[in-house]
Amino acid sequence: MDEGYANLPTSHLLGSVPAVTQDDRKPSPPAAQDAAATSRLQEFPPAPGGNGGGYRPPGGPADGDVENQADWKGYFNVASYAPYFNVDTDVVVDRLISSIYPMDGFYRKIDANPDMYGPLWITTTLVFMLAAFGNYATYLMQNKKDLDIWNFDVGYFSWAASVMYGYAVIVPAVFFFLFQYFGSRQSLVRFWCMWGYSLFVFIPASVLLLIPVEFLRWVIIALAGGASSWFIALNLKECTEGADLMVLMASASVLQFALALFIKVFFFA
Amino acid sequence: MDEMAATARSQVVVVPAARPSSPPRASIPVSSSSAASAPPQQTATAKLPFSAAVPASTSASGSFSVPIPIASDGLGPEPSTLTEPVWDTVKRDLARIVSNLKLVVFPNPFRDDPGKALRDWDLWGPFFFIVLLGLILSWSATAKKSQVFAVAFAVLAAGAIVLTLNVLLLGGHIIFFQSLSLLGYCLFPLDVGALICMLKDSVILKMVVVTVTLAWSSWAAYPLMSAAVNPKRKALALYPVFLMYISVACLIIAIV
Repeated sequence: MDEGYANLPTSHLLGSVPAVTQDDRKPSPPAAQDAAATSRLQEFPPAPGGNGGGYRPPGGPADGDVENQADWKGYFNVASYAPYFNVDTDVVVDRLISSIYPMDGFYRKIDANPDMYGPLWITTTLVFMLAAFGNYATYLMQNKKDLDIWNFDVGYFSWAASVMYGYAVIVPAVFFFLFQYFGSRQSLVRFWCMWGYSLFVFIPASVLLLIPVEFLRWVIIALAGGASSWFIALNLKECTEGADLMVLMASASVLQFALALFIKVFFFA
Repeated sequence: MDEMAATARSQVVVVPAARPSSPPRASIPVSSSSAASAPPQQTATAKLPFSAAVPASTSASGSFSVPIPIASDGLGPEPSTLTEPVWDTVKRDLARIVSNLKLVVFPNPFRDDPGKALRDWDLWGPFFFIVLLGLILSWSATAKKSQVFAVAFAVLAAGAIVLTLNVLLLGGHIIFFQSLSLLGYCLFPLDVGALICMLKDSVILKMVVVTVTLAWSSWAAYPLMSAAVNPKRKALALYPVFLMYISVACLIIAIV
């Protein structure tokens, strides 16, 4: 092993017990790294020089070769993502509840410790729920119309997975770049975290959408979409702290509502 | 060493092979010669690694014969699993699957010690159970059969990997393949449930059977998963396991 890498975690091999390090190696694109370095203000032990920690030793040379090598190794090591899962059960439950309760303060909760556990499992749960309940809902509607042909449409799984994972990963990233373009420095991980938790309201909504009354379904999805958009708008406003980017916030809310409508139209037709 | 004895014996009687000889392995190249030149070859084979000696002797004898490794006369190390009959290998793997199954899925005194359970992990059992479930679902589906199999297989295989990574990321201590193995073995009750549902077509029966087997699967997976993480994060580690099994149970109810 290279002697320069004094801070490396002790194992890079899958299958052995990884040492959980306090690295805050962020999987952000290398181009934005310097720009984003100043925004990582409240992450774990703030590294000397504000370079974001990582695998560089405190006094080591900061030449490009070392940086690229450290970058590359960091992405494939499970332990380097562990800081984003540093939450307990009660913390996660607290965040979930505050995501549907229309009050301020969610962003403040995640600011110090953004977690990726919530977004990952909320989107996964939503994929399964949309596929399962979407099928069940079409079954109930067809039952009402006395049709005999119904079979489980497995395509719902693929569609749900593509839509939900795509939305949860791509939309925050796009907004991150747009915010960067307009000069407001944000944190990609916090965006992912926030957008992920904003999807939580669709889980109880998809349960309620089983009710085979069409009008009620539209009311439910409108409420859910509205709550989610409001959550996004509120938190974007808080994290941009007054930078006048209403266009971006409005478009984020509209996108969230469009997602709600898509869910209704495609899965619960 | 036992190759020498075996080669000497093979000169006298050609032993029909339990299986066709494997192609010569890529190791130290051996100039194959006829059986007549066996004595100098014996010394040559004595120095060569084990795997090279096998094809050398088979090509020397010119017919499909495999020297039967004999360890009882104390002529050398235990035979490796390369030259044993296939039935022995299959029997051993089956025995391991059964013993792992008994440890994981059925009540036994070692359940509370996650280190003991599945110490001898293997991936054959999980593979069979996942493929069996995929086949049952695919066979029972009325449309898009291949997509059903693909979804079931992907959900279970990728799900097991993601679940293990989830535990590791939450700061838990778990061995990657042991966890994969455990999650695969815990699928066994759902397999049984799917088989029962396939044989008898009644909605009530399906609900009852699938619920019971789902509870059984979850109960089987609970000890190792909950012991692997910090108690404050237990629910975070266990919830995805339940999610995966519940989604598979829904698939079974809806399709089979």
